[in-house]
Amino acid sequence: MSDTENQPKGPIGRFLALPSDSVPKTIFVAVAVCLVASMIVSAAAVALRPLQEVNALKDKQINILQVAGIYEPGTDVLEAFQAFEPRILELETGEFTDKFDPASFDDRAAADDPATSVELTDDPAGIGRQAQFVTVYLLRDDAGEIDKVILPLHGYGLWSTLYGFIALEENGNDIFGLQFYEHAETPGLGAEVDNPRWKALWNGKKLADENGELQISVTKTAPPAGPEHHIDALAGATLTTVGVHNLVNFWMGEAGYAAFLDNLKAGEI
Amino acid sequence: MGLRSFFDSVEPHFTKGGKWEKYFPVYEMVESFLYTPKTVTTAAPHARSYIDMKRIMTYVVIATIPCILMALYNTGYQTNMALADHEATGWRAAIIGGLGIGFNPANPLANMMHGLMYFLPIYIVTLVAGGIFEVIFATVRKHEVNEGFLVSSMLYALIVPATTPLWQVALGIIFGVVIGKEVFGGTGKNFLNPALTGRAFLYFAYPAQLSGDSVWVPVDGYTGATALAVAASDGFQELAARGMSWWDSFYGFIPGSMGETSTLACLIGLAFLLITKIANYRMVLGCLLGMIGFSLLLNAIGSDSNPMFAMPWYWHLVTGGFAFGLVFMVTEPVSGAHTNMGRYIYGALIGFMVVMIRVINPAFPEGMMLAILFGNVFAPLIDHFVVQANIKRRAKRHV
Amino acid sequence: MAHKRRDMLIDPMVDNNPITLQVLGICSALAVTSSLQVAFVMAIAVTFVTAFSSMFISMIRNQIPGSIRIIVQMVIIASLVILVDQMLKAFAFEISKTLSVFVGLIITNCIVMGRAEAFAMKNPPIDSFIDGVGNGLGYGLILMMVGVIRELFGAGSLFGITILETVNNGGWYVPNGMLLLPPSAFFIIGLIIWAFRSWKPEQVEEREYKIQTVEAH
Repeated sequence: MSDTENQPKGPIGRFLALPSDSVPKTIFVAVAVCLVASMIVSAAAVALRPLQEVNALKDKQINILQVAGIYEPGTDVLEAFQAFEPRILELETGEFTDKFDPASFDDRAAADDPATSVELTDDPAGIGRQAQFVTVYLLRDDAGEIDKVILPLHGYGLWSTLYGFIALEENGNDIFGLQFYEHAETPGLGAEVDNPRWKALWNGKKLADENGELQISVTKTAPPAGPEHHIDALAGATLTTVGVHNLVNFWMGEAGYAAFLDNLKAGEI
Repeated sequence: MGLRSFFDSVEPHFTKGGKWEKYFPVYEMVESFLYTPKTVTTAAPHARSYIDMKRIMTYVVIATIPCILMALYNTGYQTNMALADHEATGWRAAIIGGLGIGFNPANPLANMMHGLMYFLPIYIVTLVAGGIFEVIFATVRKHEVNEGFLVSSMLYALIVPATTPLWQVALGIIFGVVIGKEVFGGTGKNFLNPALTGRAFLYFAYPAQLSGDSVWVPVDGYTGATALAVAASDGFQELAARGMSWWDSFYGFIPGSMGETSTLACLIGLAFLLITKIANYRMVLGCLLGMIGFSLLLNAIGSDSNPMFAMPWYWHLVTGGFAFGLVFMVTEPVSGAHTNMGRYIYGALIGFMVVMIRVINPAFPEGMMLAILFGNVFAPLIDHFVVQANIKRRAKRHV
Repeated sequence: MAHKRRDMLIDPMVDNNPITLQVLGICSALAVTSSLQVAFVMAIAVTFVTAFSSMFISMIRNQIPGSIRIIVQMVIIASLVILVDQMLKAFAFEISKTLSVFVGLIITNCIVMGRAEAFAMKNPPIDSFIDGVGNGLGYGLILMMVGVIRELFGAGSLFGITILETVNNGGWYVPNGMLLLPPSAFFIIGLIIWAFRSWKPEQVEEREYKIQTVEAH
């Protein structure tokens, strides 16, 4: 109690003058503090929600722009992203479906939902369940022809699941770029998947050889298939490298986008 | 002028009141290295033993001699083997060319010479870099520079790969001396092994070069994998296919950190240390039993995806740094457990951990260094419980 | 009075630093110091929370019942932390991704609770506010020191701007990978404490034990 308030006046003054530890005072202070705090917090949450949602969306779009090679600092993300057409792809048939709305489709939720996903028995990428529907992004040129396709992929490295996108040229075989936007690999070793120099190695590589065999590899030594199918391993990060190798092969193979890529090559998309 | 009279003549400058008073530790280091210390403990209690610190340290250095010889030979041997397909370049090639020794892996002298040229720079850098910090601390803190550093630097030089850049060698030993030893008060008060602390620093700081993932043969363009990395990815059976038989591994003709490859040389050192009673057999026994027991258990459990589960204990014994660590690091008296029962537990904990890290942790092919540091940290706790158990047991006897 | 307030602000920098003297707030100091930018934002966030929570708690300190004292403090601190978290997500999304849970964990940062309980409950609002700012800045100072060392030698850059060109990017500098791992901050904070206490020996704690010395006969 402060010394100046020795003469409490009115009901409020009398209440404040109660000893702090009295029961009514305790309840009053608890309720008042909680009320004020919750109002401030919820007001902030509601007021800032739209901005946050834009940020989260932008974050994903930046990654797509980056893997397609058209992002530079200062780019107007929302406008640049207009060039991309998001579509929901059914992996098994390799065809687009309109069952879901691309604007609201959640890839990660779909992978957990038994109705839209399957449990993998042969699981080299270490992802457990795989969604049968994924959001892919098409980048069309001025004439309206497909220029690049951006396909999401993910798989387990050393410590964490790596989430990323691969950008392919319109022929469905030439890699334009690969980019991971979420992982927790060892800093300085596995985390070098983010190194621009290493990412640049992917540009121009080919997934399959002339016979249509999937040959892409991420290993220390070049395999017999030739350098156009090979990306150098990350120095000192054996298991992250193996993880990337497996996940790329998994997603580009039969269980992944093979059907879609065949359709793309045949010009049916 | 005799050496003794030289020391006697300069000594007054270093003692209290002399002009180099501050540098007494440096004087003391040189003097006591060459002569038996003439001072005796002044305060009680007096420990009476024929084993003083100087003798312990000197004997450990002697015990490393087989490992040093093997380090020289094998480093040269591996390098010369690898050179069969590569061009020798650099100053080493120039000197060897000048001497006319050549690079024939079948010629022991050529191997020794080539190995020496890798070992010596690393060892000299270790001595100089670590020594400077040792002397700085000794001078500031007014304690002596003792033979402990001689042991630490020798062990450290033997557990780094020949490919380590010299600046990394220097950084590692400085970290080992300062963080591993001096911050805790110097020799005898360190709870971590300084040589291993330095090596662990390198391991985490520069893992791309030092985690045992790529091979440690100092030839540009040579690629391959260490024995443990091969075993981790393809199973220990694959080792034979790569030309690494168990006996090769036992004798030490495989790539690896310089002094660690030869189990035989380590065992000779162990015999010497056990006979002279420098090493305590309880720690060695505990460590061996822990390693054998846990690897047998893992053999029995088995695994489809992890070939390391099937690796038998006799392979664990001869690969990586197990033998070297067992002989020179586990038995180190300061950082280990101090009670007899504690020494068994301490050893067993390390033996268990090394297999655990090698087999189950996906990131690190080698586990001996980390296992020993882990054991170091636990040693005081183990001692505490052993002492408590002892107190309880004796109290019960006298109710 | 003004002099006293200046001391309140300056004291927690060196003489009474929350990290190096009281060894509080270590957890986040380990987790967020691998890059300077993140460390900087964290320092500001903690300063903000400590300052305002101290001020608000001090404003109602005479009304807070002793029995629910800690809960009231926690509610105020937690609300401020949520506020900071929401703001970061809205205005600095990239950084909020790296800071992730550590913003939320400011709630458990002992510095905030410590100042609320030790200072704000006994002192007027403005003093409490200044004390909070001072402690937040003292924490921030150490964070920045650790951050400079870790980012410069671990990644070769400061605030994301390359200073030492690393080998992986075609330069000469071999980055020290250990500095990117959280435990390295332990060594660095330890060394900073060592340096501080060598500079100001009065910060050295008294030994908890004493080695008995016996005179030689």
